[in-house]
Amino acid sequence: MIRAASSEVRKPAFRLPGGKVAAYAALILLALCTLFPLLFLFVNSFKDQGAIVARPMALPREWSFAYLSSALSQIHFVQAALITAGITIAAVCLIVFCSSLLSWMLVRNDSASSRILLLALTAAMLVPFQSLMYPLIHQFESFGLKNIPGLILMYGGFGLGMSVFLYHGFMRSVPLALEEAALIDGASIGSLFFKVVFPLVQPITVTVVILNALWIWNDYLLPFLVLGNAEHKTLTLELYYAKMLAGQFSNPWELIFPAVLGSIVPIVVLYLFLQKYFIKGVTEGAVK
Amino acid sequence: MSGYYKKWFWPLALPGLILFAAVVLVPFLVGLFYSFTAWRGTYFVGGSAWSSFVGLENYARIFRSRQFLHALLYTLEFTALAVVSIGAAGLLLALLLDYVGKRVALFRTVFFLPNLLGGLALGFIWQFIFQNVFTEMFGEGGLNIAFLTNMTQDSTKNLFALVIMVTWQMAGYMMIIFVAGLNNIPRDLYEAGSLDGANAWTKFRYITLPMLMPSITIVLFLTLASCLKLLDQNVALTNGSFNTSMLSLQILRTVRYTQPPDYGQAQAQAVVFFILVAIIGLVQVYITKKKEVDA
Repeated sequence: MIRAASSEVRKPAFRLPGGKVAAYAALILLALCTLFPLLFLFVNSFKDQGAIVARPMALPREWSFAYLSSALSQIHFVQAALITAGITIAAVCLIVFCSSLLSWMLVRNDSASSRILLLALTAAMLVPFQSLMYPLIHQFESFGLKNIPGLILMYGGFGLGMSVFLYHGFMRSVPLALEEAALIDGASIGSLFFKVVFPLVQPITVTVVILNALWIWNDYLLPFLVLGNAEHKTLTLELYYAKMLAGQFSNPWELIFPAVLGSIVPIVVLYLFLQKYFIKGVTEGAVK
Repeated sequence: MSGYYKKWFWPLALPGLILFAAVVLVPFLVGLFYSFTAWRGTYFVGGSAWSSFVGLENYARIFRSRQFLHALLYTLEFTALAVVSIGAAGLLLALLLDYVGKRVALFRTVFFLPNLLGGLALGFIWQFIFQNVFTEMFGEGGLNIAFLTNMTQDSTKNLFALVIMVTWQMAGYMMIIFVAGLNNIPRDLYEAGSLDGANAWTKFRYITLPMLMPSITIVLFLTLASCLKLLDQNVALTNGSFNTSMLSLQILRTVRYTQPPDYGQAQAQAVVFFILVAIIGLVQVYITKKKEVDA
């Protein structure tokens, strides 16, 4: 789908005034605007409060890691990053497992009731979380699930709608003949799914993983409602409490900037390595 | 064959269906019911859920609540501005990338970058930028544009601060969708257009836009949904001070500002919120799908 990056020479759709030089200039300018807040964050993570407020745009006089290390210990960086990663990985596995199996069964048992099920699942994408969060938390609490395992289950349920929608669209193109051939060769249901179907839908699995992982990693509201100010918090939650406990208008920027920097580094590094998949995931997800 | 899959339907579909029922379907229906009761979170006024049934009272109260109505209007205003702004910025980036054609990978990487970060982290950075950098740059002695100073301390200004922030964040995502759409337009359409003497604008208007309708549908759907439901950025930038709560935040705060926490009322707000999102979403998909067919 994304051919813009390949080296083939393609004629542009139409000429813009000013030619390519102007277009490159505009792109560079826009790229700088995009990068500005991030560079700004980076530079200010190495300064003390006075220097941040007085000269926010200046480079630090001396690059001090003191603020970064104290901020990272205050937000319990290692623990929080591991918790967030654990929740994200567990929830994404749950989503992939449940939604791929469910979609496969819906595709292979095409009947009026499967269509109604599919409709209900996709319609759930329109339901804002707010309209069911209070009863949800209340119910999970009464089952003793107002904790990290409960949080993972909630993400599993929430990610299901979009993921089934994506898998279902993709699995319709998997030829039934392939599965029949495998069955004739004596494949069990397990090897049929994991050795035949699942590898064939791998591109959409990438999409499901990326879209769900991005959302879950950064989510604030659900951990806030479920975990609150508990001992074991996610990164976003640590960040929230670091800022909120300091008060709305007394902003300890020498704590907040390095804390924000620390919290975004893992995902940015992952992105730089797996860029291809991120972009592909987003594109595939959009082309229904 | 179909018998084989039928046999396996329930064992394989069940985990997903149970999860969906427990997390989405049941809480949604329960929430619908609770919005008609005097639910206080930990108990019901009058004992049980049935005996605390109050009919439409919660709904009557929220439509008299100025806070709720303001949040509703604020959300709609923000969404209208932000959807146009994000869509236009995304399209502009995509057209520029499509135009230069080569060496675009780096730009694509950069423009998509802000999407990776959570609204809370971004909001904290932007709060400082709006408060300190913008105020310095656009204040007296600077460029002297009062509107761009102290943007997070005024309801109207903050609306635009939020729009600037989400545009910065989401334009790169929409750019990727538009780039894929532009790639699918056959180039000979433009050549035919040129032969007929069409200029850049006419080609854009009569070839690019109609052919891009599928991408526009998706972009509209994604931006509408995320703008209507925006929460994190709202929390990070002002946390609702200066009358800047959008609906998501308003629902979250209702239980904090009422004593005992009025979950019934918050739930009624949430149901209205759902109806709003559902109607806007369905109408949008219906209209743009129709345009796709016409085009």
